[in-house]
Amino acid sequence: MDFALTEDQELIRTAVAELAGKFDDPYWMEKDEAHEFPREFYDAFADGGWLGITTPEEYGGQGFGITEASLLLEEVAASGAGMNGASSMHMSIFGMHPVIVHGSEEMKKENLPRIANGDLHVCFGVTEPGAGLDTTRITTFAKRDGSDYVVNGRKVWISKAQESEKVLLLTRTAKFDDSDRKTDGMTLFFTDLDRDHVDIRPIRKMGRNAVTSNELFIDDLRIPEEHRVGEEGQGFKYIIDGLNPERCLVAAEALGIGRAALRRAVRYATEREVFGRPIGMNQGLQFPLADSLARLDAAELVLRKATWLYDQGLPSAREANTAKYLCADAGFDAADRALQTHGGMGYSEEYHVARYFREARLTRIAPLSQEMVLNFLGERVLGLPRSY
Amino acid sequence: MEWKLSDEQDSYREALRGWLGDVASPEAVRGWFEAADPAPFTERYAADGWRGVGVAEEEGGQGGGVVELALTAEELGRAVAPSAAWLATVLAVPALGTLPEHTTAWLLPAEDLPDSAAGVRADPDGRVTGDVARVLAGAEAAAYVVVVGAPGERTLRLVDADADGVTVRPRALLDHSRSVADVRLESVASTALDADAETVLARATDLAGVLVAADALGAMERMLELCVDYSLQRRQFGVPIGSFQAVKHAAAEMEVAVEAGRSALYFAAASVEAGLEECGLHAAAVKAQVTAAAAHAADTALTVHGAIGYTWEHDLQLLYKRARLDEHLLGAPARWNERIAVGLVLV
Repeated sequence: MDFALTEDQELIRTAVAELAGKFDDPYWMEKDEAHEFPREFYDAFADGGWLGITTPEEYGGQGFGITEASLLLEEVAASGAGMNGASSMHMSIFGMHPVIVHGSEEMKKENLPRIANGDLHVCFGVTEPGAGLDTTRITTFAKRDGSDYVVNGRKVWISKAQESEKVLLLTRTAKFDDSDRKTDGMTLFFTDLDRDHVDIRPIRKMGRNAVTSNELFIDDLRIPEEHRVGEEGQGFKYIIDGLNPERCLVAAEALGIGRAALRRAVRYATEREVFGRPIGMNQGLQFPLADSLARLDAAELVLRKATWLYDQGLPSAREANTAKYLCADAGFDAADRALQTHGGMGYSEEYHVARYFREARLTRIAPLSQEMVLNFLGERVLGLPRSY
Repeated sequence: MEWKLSDEQDSYREALRGWLGDVASPEAVRGWFEAADPAPFTERYAADGWRGVGVAEEEGGQGGGVVELALTAEELGRAVAPSAAWLATVLAVPALGTLPEHTTAWLLPAEDLPDSAAGVRADPDGRVTGDVARVLAGAEAAAYVVVVGAPGERTLRLVDADADGVTVRPRALLDHSRSVADVRLESVASTALDADAETVLARATDLAGVLVAADALGAMERMLELCVDYSLQRRQFGVPIGSFQAVKHAAAEMEVAVEAGRSALYFAAASVEAGLEECGLHAAAVKAQVTAAAAHAADTALTVHGAIGYTWEHDLQLLYKRARLDEHLLGAPARWNERIAVGLVLV
């Protein structure tokens, strides 16, 4: 057994930390408060060639695995960029997996290099108001019209749609009731977010405000056949492939925020003096922080195992789910304790832990709730009866 | 709203605590445990006139109600007194309609809620047959209240413990301060009790919830006192361990549990006494909450004491086992929570 990162991986870590470090906490506070996309940050990572870290080399990327992608996003989050920084590039880093595996050569040649160099912003259009994690219940419908499809429907919680030129869009081409299996009849497209036919409305939300989360109203959006990813009716299968890596990446982001929060908490606990001594001397503050360190370290190990398994082509669902579960809790707890350590100052924006707190909370909800992870582990790993 | 005990109740508590200090000192208690014989305590308790407190005068008691019973249970728990006979008997009073002269116990498993009982078999001539495991005070009782028939059509009968066909097998508990025994009935003569079984079982269940919770509260409070004393006395790195926040915060959290437990408990006791519509929920809430809190506090107390708390010589082990058994005695928290869930008509 070997717990060491490879030379490449160490290099990725250091280089990402260095680059992300150029964007300090006040930068993120301003972007978050102004609800403004972190263009400079995104461009810096695009210029550095980081957005194509998992894109195959023939399409302008580096061809690395999920382990490297997770190290990248973890360091981004840990720099204090948090979910604002991670979400600005999250989809570019791995969201195109279905296109890489199932897309046509033409589609890949046209899009992947542009994603890798940062020119093309993309988003992921799966969830709907009537179907969150119950993905097969989506109703956005793509109706054949000659060689085109005409799409109507609604999507919700589409991150970065406002800023994106294209969307990876999951639709139904056969209604739920007309499909033999509930996972049949779903078709995936990678197409332009034509503003004349898609109304994009940002959702007002608790945090991560530098990157929008949106509601999409799709009205007669015409999609040429060439924008279909893979076969008609197979979309669900294509999406499913990407779920475990997705969980790993969000786990890495949660872990990174936890590290950022802990770093700030330790600094404040050392500097702030009450009753004539640093508050970090109080076991009531020191122990929760030490406990968070232990929990973040433990969660990190599961995450490393999960990404290693995935990159080896081995089954990774159990570990990917566990990693997301443990990292999200460890990250949020660290943020909560960092806030508590700061006392009243933690509640002000000035010390940044309030922002970490809001963003860390998101990882316990997305990409799926902690409870759904437990459903998966209970049902699929332990073999208990389905509870819902 | 007046939220305090009456002067009379305060004096009762004080007097009982004093008496227990004299009669049921830790040394005395350990002596009864080693001899595996709680009878000297049970007899002295009756002889000195405590047994009828909390039972109405018209039922042959000395007056008072559920609050007095709760005060008693709390003090008995604090002292780790061998109280299975007392608890079994006061729970049987609703079935008998009177305070029996000798220890009388429900013939039910000690880990179940009284009213979840499945009845034993009875012949048309009233002879009862059945096996009931782990009856509270099963080997101490002179008589048993036996539940006959299926839920919904249950009836109650009284059996003499020394009647023909009764076999009693005592079982050892880790907590030596309570006793249980397996009881076998083989065609044993019995007499009918005319109380309505369902009403009486419901009443006994509410009482059980309140009294076991009160017992746990007493044990928990005593453990907190031991923790505070020890953390001031024991020094490490040149300072009392009580100066470490990890220790003092642990004690503070126990204090919160004690105070929250006491507030809820005496409300539940008053509610059961007054027969409020939701008194069953109140009793269930304190059984689930206070006994779980006390079991948790027992673990904390052990941590605060370190290795000394793990020894036989230290009294903490007595209270630790008391609290841990209280969590499961007459129904574990999950069972009582289920009762609340059903009572609230949730899906």
